[in-house]
Amino acid sequence: MSARDDTSARRTPASRRVRTSMPYVLLAIMFAALFIFPLFAGRRASAFNVYDALQLWSAYGLVALGVGLTMIVGEFDFGVLGVFALCPMIAVKLGEINLFLGLGAALGLAAVVGFLEGAIVAKLRVHSMPVTLGFYIALLGANLAIGNSQSVSFSNLNVGFALDARLAIFSGRSIIALIVFALVFVVMRFTRVGRDIRAVGGDRRASRMVGVAVDRVLIGVFITSAVCSALGGVLLAYSFATALSNPGLYPLQFAVTAAILGGVSLVGGVGGAVGIAAGALSLSLLQELFSLLAAPTYLSSLITGVLLVIATFVAAPNLSAWWRSLRSPRPGAVAVASAVPEPASK
Amino acid sequence: MTGVDSATNGSAAAGRVAQLNPAAIAVYAFVAILAAGIVFGAFMTPGFLTINNFSAILTSAAFVGIIAVGSTLIMLSGSLFSISLGTTTAVTAILFMFMLHSGVAAAAAVTLLAGTAIFAIQGALVGLIGANPIIVTIGAGAIQEGVIGWLSPGDITPPPGAGIDFLARTIFGLPFSVYVFLGLALVLDLCMRHTRFGLELYLLGENQPAAHAAGLPVALLTTAAFAVAGFCVAVAGVLIAGFAQNVNLQVAGTYTFDAIAAILVGGSAVTGGWGSVGRTVIGALIIATITDMLLLVGASTGMQIFVKGLIVTVVVVLLHLARRERRSP
Repeated sequence: MSARDDTSARRTPASRRVRTSMPYVLLAIMFAALFIFPLFAGRRASAFNVYDALQLWSAYGLVALGVGLTMIVGEFDFGVLGVFALCPMIAVKLGEINLFLGLGAALGLAAVVGFLEGAIVAKLRVHSMPVTLGFYIALLGANLAIGNSQSVSFSNLNVGFALDARLAIFSGRSIIALIVFALVFVVMRFTRVGRDIRAVGGDRRASRMVGVAVDRVLIGVFITSAVCSALGGVLLAYSFATALSNPGLYPLQFAVTAAILGGVSLVGGVGGAVGIAAGALSLSLLQELFSLLAAPTYLSSLITGVLLVIATFVAAPNLSAWWRSLRSPRPGAVAVASAVPEPASK
Repeated sequence: MTGVDSATNGSAAAGRVAQLNPAAIAVYAFVAILAAGIVFGAFMTPGFLTINNFSAILTSAAFVGIIAVGSTLIMLSGSLFSISLGTTTAVTAILFMFMLHSGVAAAAAVTLLAGTAIFAIQGALVGLIGANPIIVTIGAGAIQEGVIGWLSPGDITPPPGAGIDFLARTIFGLPFSVYVFLGLALVLDLCMRHTRFGLELYLLGENQPAAHAAGLPVALLTTAAFAVAGFCVAVAGVLIAGFAQNVNLQVAGTYTFDAIAAILVGGSAVTGGWGSVGRTVIGALIIATITDMLLLVGASTGMQIFVKGLIVTVVVVLLHLARRERRSP
């Protein structure tokens, strides 16, 4: 996953426009769906449902932001699942002594984990998937060991009440998440760092050549990813007054789906914070719609899976080549000619 | 170095060329420490050096091992790994249990076919349109969870007199599943080393553009690699169903990451083209041995998982460094 081909350059402007506007179109559809579908079932969506969706968004959206950033830079971070499990446990355990000690220790630990992952990936140039997978397994193990394989409850309920207090459609939790998203957006949009991040994801070798501090960008992104996910987990744990022993794979499922729906490509170099926020919000609204309709939970996995597979089609690098090869008299030849070779740098 | 060369003589060549560089020394040092740790632990841990315990290690390695040897083909072919191994294991176990009323043979056949097909479809997506295997398999996992949640709420138990006791039978002191594991591993390892299919998979994983240019049926090969993995997952599903009295989606457990960990600890390259099925067997046995040892000294589940993660990380980093040094001396 180092140097990669630039697919966006080969794509026609029209399809590119479709892709960049996809997250927002989807978001609009989800909003409309939340308010229209329940009417058929004799129910009515209100501002409370938007508030509720934003609650979900504030927890898993931050994970999506983390995973999305690593995808933009051309890597992948399974470690988010690990910090999402372990950091809330630390925050709850130490939070019993002092709230800020717990929060600080949890986020500090996440930063250290992110730094280690980023340093290994950047300096040693190891593929990020197996490394972060190892981190995930180790962190999950640490979480189970600390919590004695059981969920741990948090006695300070006031924190949760304060975080969940409703302000129109927002809560303290969703406002914190919103601020984090805004910060990442500002950095990505208005500073050199944002340009560097996309450059590193687009063509790492060229970025190195022109003097981008590739290693620092990678380490920074992994730290941001881990801290964002940890924050999402900690906020959720404080809100529910419980740190789970094993949150499972759902946070990653949600995060990857949200990032992909938000226009992030696993090829790297494409996407941004606003898109990821929109993707995550679309999914959150969808979940809220299901709970409003009292739909069985399997339906939401089913739709998440279908959305992911559809998004895969949209994001697939060889889709157009394959389509052309289907219509051409010499299928094999066209597919070969149009597939831009990926340098075998492993 | 060509794909075929590195595939067949990979470990030997690595040993010869890389002997002098620090990364390779680190690998050997780590292997030595690991081996010493296991040997030391073997003598220090009460109850480790018993026939019963070795049987327990093999038994606990069997299910994960069966899933892992199949998935090794996905990794060797350059399509990383599947994130829904555990889910499909549970799905096939449920399907097998559900189909038992029409006979064991029919149920097994349908289950193996289903597992193969579920994975082949994902492989086709990856091979034909270049879809990312991680995303495809996460999506496929969610769909399978959804479908099972829709069709079968809750546990499924075998019908009375189903005749599946033989799946959990012990032969010469070892469970049936151990023989299946070792048999599958042997067949797949030979297949990867000596058949055209295997060598083409190695080439595809080593260098996809070259495989394209050489006119290899890339889409077909990827689909086939996934299909084999799906078959193995279904085999594991059937055996697990034979072991358990009731099955549900919780069967998935930690099989996904356990199997991937076994492949990685075995030392196959995550980007493909280098490694072997035999290595995965060793990886599965190493993990099972260490887990067993930790279990015997009374370490918690969390501690066992923590150590597993640590070993995966260290092995991946060290082997990567050793391979990198070999490529650019």
